Amino acid sequence: MSRIVVTGMGIISAIGDSAAKNRQSLSAGICGIGHIELFASRYAGILPCGEIKIPTDNLKQVLQSKEPGVTRTSLLALHAVREAISDAGLTPEEVSSAGTCLIGATTVGGMCLTDELYHDAHKDKEGSEYLSSYDCASVNMYLQEHLRLKGLINTINTACSSSANAIMYGARLLRNGFARRAIVGGVDSLAKFTINGFNALHILSGQICRPFDRDRSGLNLGEGAAFLVLEREQDVPHKKQLASLSGYCNANDAYHPSSLSDQGDGPYLAMKGALESAGLSSADIDFINAHGTATENNDLVESTSMLRLFGQVPSFCSSKSNTGHTLGAAGAIGAAYSILSLAHGEIYPSLGFEQPITQTGLKPATDYRQMHLEHVMSNSFGFGGNCTSLIFSKS
Amino acid sequence: MLYFHDYSCISPQPTYGNPVLGQLLASQESKLFAREPAYSGIPPGILRRMGKAVRIAIGAALPLMKDPAMGIIIGTANGGMEDCIKFLDQIIEYQEGMLTPGNFVQSTTNAIAAQLGLISKNKGYNITHVHRGLSFENALLDAIMITRENPAGHYLVGGVDEISSYDYNIECLAGWYRSHGIGNEHLYQWEGTGSLAGEGASMFRVSASPAGARAQLTGIRIFQGEDLTRVEDELSGLLAEPGMNGQHIDLLLSGENGDARMLPFYNTVEKFMQRDTAIARFKHMTGEFATASAVAAWLACHLLEKQELPDHMLKKGLVGKEIENILVYNTFKGRQHSFMQFSKPLPAI
Repeated sequence: MSRIVVTGMGIISAIGDSAAKNRQSLSAGICGIGHIELFASRYAGILPCGEIKIPTDNLKQVLQSKEPGVTRTSLLALHAVREAISDAGLTPEEVSSAGTCLIGATTVGGMCLTDELYHDAHKDKEGSEYLSSYDCASVNMYLQEHLRLKGLINTINTACSSSANAIMYGARLLRNGFARRAIVGGVDSLAKFTINGFNALHILSGQICRPFDRDRSGLNLGEGAAFLVLEREQDVPHKKQLASLSGYCNANDAYHPSSLSDQGDGPYLAMKGALESAGLSSADIDFINAHGTATENNDLVESTSMLRLFGQVPSFCSSKSNTGHTLGAAGAIGAAYSILSLAHGEIYPSLGFEQPITQTGLKPATDYRQMHLEHVMSNSFGFGGNCTSLIFSKS
Repeated sequence: MLYFHDYSCISPQPTYGNPVLGQLLASQESKLFAREPAYSGIPPGILRRMGKAVRIAIGAALPLMKDPAMGIIIGTANGGMEDCIKFLDQIIEYQEGMLTPGNFVQSTTNAIAAQLGLISKNKGYNITHVHRGLSFENALLDAIMITRENPAGHYLVGGVDEISSYDYNIECLAGWYRSHGIGNEHLYQWEGTGSLAGEGASMFRVSASPAGARAQLTGIRIFQGEDLTRVEDELSGLLAEPGMNGQHIDLLLSGENGDARMLPFYNTVEKFMQRDTAIARFKHMTGEFATASAVAAWLACHLLEKQELPDHMLKKGLVGKEIENILVYNTFKGRQHSFMQFSKPLPAI
């Protein structure tokens, strides 16, 4: 089977608008979670979020996006995709060749424009400029047009594991010969819709989140985008490689629409399947970028299933404590951070942790450390029992 | 490429159970609503909480879920849009007050595949493709890959979307649906823009194995663009593929939808066909929606098996001999396009 290598990446999140700035913030243990400033919501001063402090109009300027009907979600995606393309050294001809596919994930799409959608859906005004911008596909349709893409384009939504699935899907397209290179990742922007949705489920915390802590009180939402360029090693033998994508697996917990089962079958099967697809054993994993949302349910179940699979659980952290939970972007941001760890031989601290969960006793890494890493696992679990694990290996 | 072992469809026509397609059922107020069966396999408590997209998807899938599958692959542009906007209404009308989460959980597009996984206790591959008018086609491509990767496994693949009153409003404002006009029996005589709204759920049990197959997919092309030459290039490319070369297309199933802006695309494809290729249409049966091509896929499987092409579908020509190969061409809003060729399965060895 062809070896799939990562030749470029781009990240924008609450802790930085490039991969380099994200790495700096991660190394320094910076938390980007705070009050919402850029849009009006009743929860603006109450529920902390990982907001990117760049207003949408500034994003448009920076990106020279002049098309009407473009949403913040699409702009964040474009920001990360551009960085990934330039990092991978793709020429404009390569970008718009038929062999370049784009697989992007999002759960919010253009619904960040909650009020505009309300008015258009009720037809109570003239239609707004956003009539074609609300669905998930609108993001990739915009990228396709803006970047003049001619290859295969697809949008995936499996809730909070969406962009891990986009990465996995891109690798499969390459291995099955449907594409020559794949731009893969995900994006979501903060929205009244998701803040109210997660709040109605009582899983948002009024404090800064504390993944894997005994006294955690829920998640903080965040926004961001991360995209990778994947290529087959045989096609780019002389290119810089950040890492290889050595394993992946998608499994379903099949237990409940919005929580994971106690025994964590979905997470367990996803992690186990990823090991099998990489031809590795559990002892080979040096570090785990955990899903670690800091909800009561996720962190307990993820800990239980890590213990079940690994016995001796390797070092792990949750970067949700830096960025908040970026939903459709979370899998790709977690993957990008795993790649940074591998490429630089370092692990980043999980923030907000004090006391381990009583039942499991697991402690995430809380200090920046240089460490030789060969294989890093990145976990993403979502509503609907959608669980996906990826394994990146040193190139 | 991909073998179809079983299929099931809930659409605005009597396609479910024992399909009867000869008599066209009429649209109501410019909409073609799915004919929902009595859902015997879903516990009433769960059924009540389901939005229509989830309900018709599960209804269509249930008959195919008696045998185990290794995974569930769904294409849907909007999933439970009605629930989504119900939740949005709560946000605006209660000024972000205390809200109930039911609609929110049902509103995520992955809720359909998730519910199918939950009901069938399927812990395998589970994914939702949401690329608007190519959601189902991308799901099929996923199925092609996954059955190659796991040649022993069967998978459930399907396409579903619902008419939600809100999405209908947005699409009317954007000029894609006509809210006033004549019914579906005259869909193709309309002049001007806009089509009828439709909905449906089509489900397929697929594998890489021809043993016991009832139809097969022999070619697929998925692309975007507004350029007619791209459509021509993709079609010539498809017809020249090794699995396709030399096969006679007996029937073109065209996604023509009464919107004059779409006609140049369909005419371009029609011109490419051999003189004895019959041409049939289906949007007067299904209405226009992002995953209408999934109903076309179901129709193709059904026609190959039953060899009964209703008169109301036929646009041009006659099917003089047995239908062995059906080419489906569909465009969604003139920007997303797909070709899918369905053929009678090779005899099992």
